Amino acid sequence: MRVYFRYAFRETISNLWRNRMMTLAAILTVAVSLSLVGSALLLKQSAAQASVAWQTGTRVTVWMNAAASQGELDAVRTQLADSPLVHKCVFFDQARDYKEFLASLPPSETNVLTVADMPTSFRCEPTIPADAFVVESTFKNQPGVYAVTAPEQQIRQMNHAIRILQVVFLALAGVLLLSATVLILNTIRMAIFARRREVSVMKLVGATNWFIRIPFITEGFIQGLLGSFVAAGVVTALHTWYPLHNEFALNNVALLGTNAVVIGVGVLIGSVGSAIAIRRFLDV
Amino acid sequence: MIRFENVGKTYPNGTPALKDINLDIKKGEFVFLVGASGSGKTTFLRLLLREELPDSGRILEAGRDIGELPKWRVPYLRRNIGCVFQDFRLLPNKSVYENVAFALEVIGRPRSTVESQVPQILELVGLSDKSKNLPSELSGGEQQRVAVARAFVNRPLILLADEPTGNLDPANSESIMALLERINRTGTTVVMATHDKALVDRMRRRVVVLDKGEIIRDQVRGVYGVNEGAAR
Repeated sequence: MRVYFRYAFRETISNLWRNRMMTLAAILTVAVSLSLVGSALLLKQSAAQASVAWQTGTRVTVWMNAAASQGELDAVRTQLADSPLVHKCVFFDQARDYKEFLASLPPSETNVLTVADMPTSFRCEPTIPADAFVVESTFKNQPGVYAVTAPEQQIRQMNHAIRILQVVFLALAGVLLLSATVLILNTIRMAIFARRREVSVMKLVGATNWFIRIPFITEGFIQGLLGSFVAAGVVTALHTWYPLHNEFALNNVALLGTNAVVIGVGVLIGSVGSAIAIRRFLDV
Repeated sequence: MIRFENVGKTYPNGTPALKDINLDIKKGEFVFLVGASGSGKTTFLRLLLREELPDSGRILEAGRDIGELPKWRVPYLRRNIGCVFQDFRLLPNKSVYENVAFALEVIGRPRSTVESQVPQILELVGLSDKSKNLPSELSGGEQQRVAVARAFVNRPLILLADEPTGNLDPANSESIMALLERINRTGTTVVMATHDKALVDRMRRRVVVLDKGEIIRDQVRGVYGVNEGAAR
């Protein structure tokens, strides 16, 4: 067995070195495609995490006109209270809204506002976060209502944009993964061709099939592995140097998981590429 | 050692390569297989190596039907059969020593075996002083002796030679024949396909003549025959 490991190792290294340009091309293609896969995965995870964070605190705010009559206010209040879509509401009067504005806007903008300018508002929590949109459309045309804002809409738009980005990333990655597999397949085919004399002598003197095949399989495996290591490095670098903030920020467990997937896929395409090459071009 | 029982082989294009062959070769025999090109000699050797399977009949080697061997056992069968070809089939980028050692390494023999066996076999074929040379630096006869060394280093029970002297001048042919005889004297069964009339006539060994896939003559102390293959 020791003899065999030494032999397989030596053969693999010399095959890789002999075809070093092709090997490099294969490794780089694996690296680029897996970097895309890894980035898409990171993006997906942080989008999912962020939308959960947003949704738990979803508020629908019904802004009343500053000049809305007491009758209009009461009508909206009872309707909100009766609606099954709305869990509960809190009424913010002008003074309370003014305080909130002071806290969230810079002084240069708040110093022109007075309490009398402020609209009153109902801060409502929908029964189901996803219904925020329906609440919005129900109340926005009520008399006395100035506007209804629901962050749900922004979440949707954001999620939609992220989904498109993801699909593009994954489609690109898919095409690149396919070409990486073909490149690995081709380097193995060249290695088989370069060593056809050795292979025929090995068959003649009675080397077993796996003895002949394994150096070629290891070769594809190593190409996939090296490529995925580079990709894992790229993903880690992205995570470290361009971290996402706030609700998007991912922890290290997510990064490790992503890198594990990247390396797994790399090993898989390396093995698949060489397995196909061996089936088609190495007749043992 | 080798037994053909009603063996027939037809290639997909319809040409029969061997027809109903019955043959018994005993352990330690030296057999010449002669016949014109296309008479079935090569098919005969390929069947022995199980590179092909017969369409009918069966082939026994060392008492075992080789047609019934599972595919993964075939390499182990081939470890018992040494092979020498007209075109030597040496690895050009390996030295004489490495070419012979390769045959042991790829069947997983430990280094100690390689280090003891290879010099011994190179001594036998008389190439100890050229062990570091590349095949391209040797004459045809020397290259063929390396090929014989490689075929025999694992001490197979059977040695097959497919026109081993086909590319050599008479003097070199002579030395290869002497080598094969010597190997034969160790108890190895030797089957040699050849066109070399002079060689066969001088050796006075068993001669099996094939013509259009059939055995037309089998003599214990035979000669090549007077244009027999060509005449029919």
